[in-house]
Amino acid sequence: MDPSGIFPTSYRSDRRIIRTRWQVLALVLFMALLLLAPYLVSGRIIAILNMMMISAVIAVGLQICTGYAGQINLGQAAFMGVGAYTASILASKTGLTFLLTIPLAGLSAALFGFLFGLTAARIKGFYLALTTIAAQFLFHFAVLNLPSTWMGGSNGITVPPAELFGLRFVGETAQFYMNFAVTAIMVAGAFGIVRSRFGRAFVAVRDDDVAAGIMGINVAATKANAFLIGAFYAGVGGALWAYLIRFVGVDQFTLFHSIFFVAMIIVGGMGSIVGALVGVFIIRIIQEIIATVGPNIAESVSFLGGDIVFAGMNVVLGGVIALFMILEPKGLMHRWNIMKSSYRIWPFPY
Amino acid sequence: MVYFINDIITGALIGLLYSLVAMGFVVIYRASKVFNFAQGELVIIGGFIVWFTTMQAGLSLWLSIPLSLVLAGLVGYAIERIFLTKLIGESVFSMVMVTVGLLILLRGLVLLVFGPAVRPFPIIFPLKPLFLGDMLIPMNLLMGGIITIVAAVGLSWFFNRTRSGLRMTAVAEDHVVASSMGISVKGSIAFAWVLGAILSTIGAMIFLSGKSLTFLASDIGFAALPVALFAGLESIGGLILAGIIIGIAQSLTTNYLDPLIGGSLGSVVPYIIMLAILLIRPTGLFGWRTIERV
Repeated sequence: MDPSGIFPTSYRSDRRIIRTRWQVLALVLFMALLLLAPYLVSGRIIAILNMMMISAVIAVGLQICTGYAGQINLGQAAFMGVGAYTASILASKTGLTFLLTIPLAGLSAALFGFLFGLTAARIKGFYLALTTIAAQFLFHFAVLNLPSTWMGGSNGITVPPAELFGLRFVGETAQFYMNFAVTAIMVAGAFGIVRSRFGRAFVAVRDDDVAAGIMGINVAATKANAFLIGAFYAGVGGALWAYLIRFVGVDQFTLFHSIFFVAMIIVGGMGSIVGALVGVFIIRIIQEIIATVGPNIAESVSFLGGDIVFAGMNVVLGGVIALFMILEPKGLMHRWNIMKSSYRIWPFPY
Repeated sequence: MVYFINDIITGALIGLLYSLVAMGFVVIYRASKVFNFAQGELVIIGGFIVWFTTMQAGLSLWLSIPLSLVLAGLVGYAIERIFLTKLIGESVFSMVMVTVGLLILLRGLVLLVFGPAVRPFPIIFPLKPLFLGDMLIPMNLLMGGIITIVAAVGLSWFFNRTRSGLRMTAVAEDHVVASSMGISVKGSIAFAWVLGAILSTIGAMIFLSGKSLTFLASDIGFAALPVALFAGLESIGGLILAGIIIGIAQSLTTNYLDPLIGGSLGSVVPYIIMLAILLIRPTGLFGWRTIERV
């Protein structure tokens, strides 16, 4: 962060992602810590980190679609499912390498998302949320009712492990590096997208689509693009998910999972890539706590059985969404930014 | 031919049940401009309240039904007080997201409190179907259809003709304008949620009468969503027509198309209709033309 009184004097410096030497240091340290994580922490934490990185890819996509372009999307899990199914079908039937299946999964999800994004050209607000819910139901229907030789029906599909030059990505640690590489590329790409021409168009459309249209932005195309990019991220995340779990079933991609992703970006903060990452971190931690504590509670209240984790997750996340919407609708990053800017301009009031 | 007519009648009656649940959406929208995604959860909560007062507390039906409706109204009021009063005047996004949050919050609470067990639901309407010649009409759906039509006519009259109903309509137009005209936005929203919860409970009674009750029954909320949209979110009378059309379309698909293709297309027909409506005529059949085209 630049100290008080120093302002960017060119567009180039205004658009810079890394502004100070300390930020370079922090970034390098963070990446190094993540890379060394398998040697520093136990397998359980690596497993959690794997889930976090996959969720991060998907949540960043949702952040671009909802946080930057302002298009409500309650179908992110369906887009993720399209990616996961594409990757697993390609991997199990044609034996393509994951270097190809992951981008192809992203592309097929992007196509699916784009189709629903096209409706955004005609409708907005919560009507749009309704079409994304329809996407969710249609995805479910298609998987369960198409012939089971295509998409496995209700049995799901088993996915062969990812392989590169005879090296098999099996086990949490190997998976970790694969996920790390993809996540790093996707997040860096997201930073690039949101400060590019497209990103600025997204923000303009979100803030006022009429004004954006008058300024020469093709509003309908921008909205459809937002869905395309958001769904591409979801598809890539879904492919990673398929390789991690090695099994895809339609129950992994329900409306509830979509809402979980929405909760992540609400908690982290709308319109901030870092916010999406913070949200993923917090929500996944909450999920781990519930998964650890839940079974102990379940023993004392035995009639619930295995559903307590799902139920507890729903209660906590539903409460978190409602609380944040009422108390802090802009999320945690907003609070952080206020602190940062007041530190920056100190001792002046503004 | 008899079977065909029977399918149409049954379909229309199921459609009317969807209309009743959809009426919950519309009443809440019509009096507060909030689209309530958690409608299906309200149905389930209503169902559990009825189950509790009859099966657990052992009250007779004549006592438990009014009591359940009062309790459901209180739940609706509590939800409104806790979550929605604070959002008056906020953006559409906040309102939508709060009801989405409510959707998973209530689902989780129902699971935590009642568990995933399957429970018998009291028989509120006679189990014996009505025989018309060779045709067979389920009694609960028939009675439900009559209740739906009566409720629709009554509420339609209330919102379009009476003074307090028109006040609420003003709230649905714009919160700020309504409150500066001296209309109590809070009161209107509270009334809407109480009414929405009561309608959902009636829907639960018709839907579940004599069947079993689990938390999965809340799916009817999403089945009713296309009906609300097809009618247009502001029209209560239009729900009847929309419900009948969607119900018949679903029934015919289930009975005649599904055996051919060997799938369950019937369950997804409402959503296909919904997508078509959103693309062709987003205001629905009788909705106000307020949707901004871009």
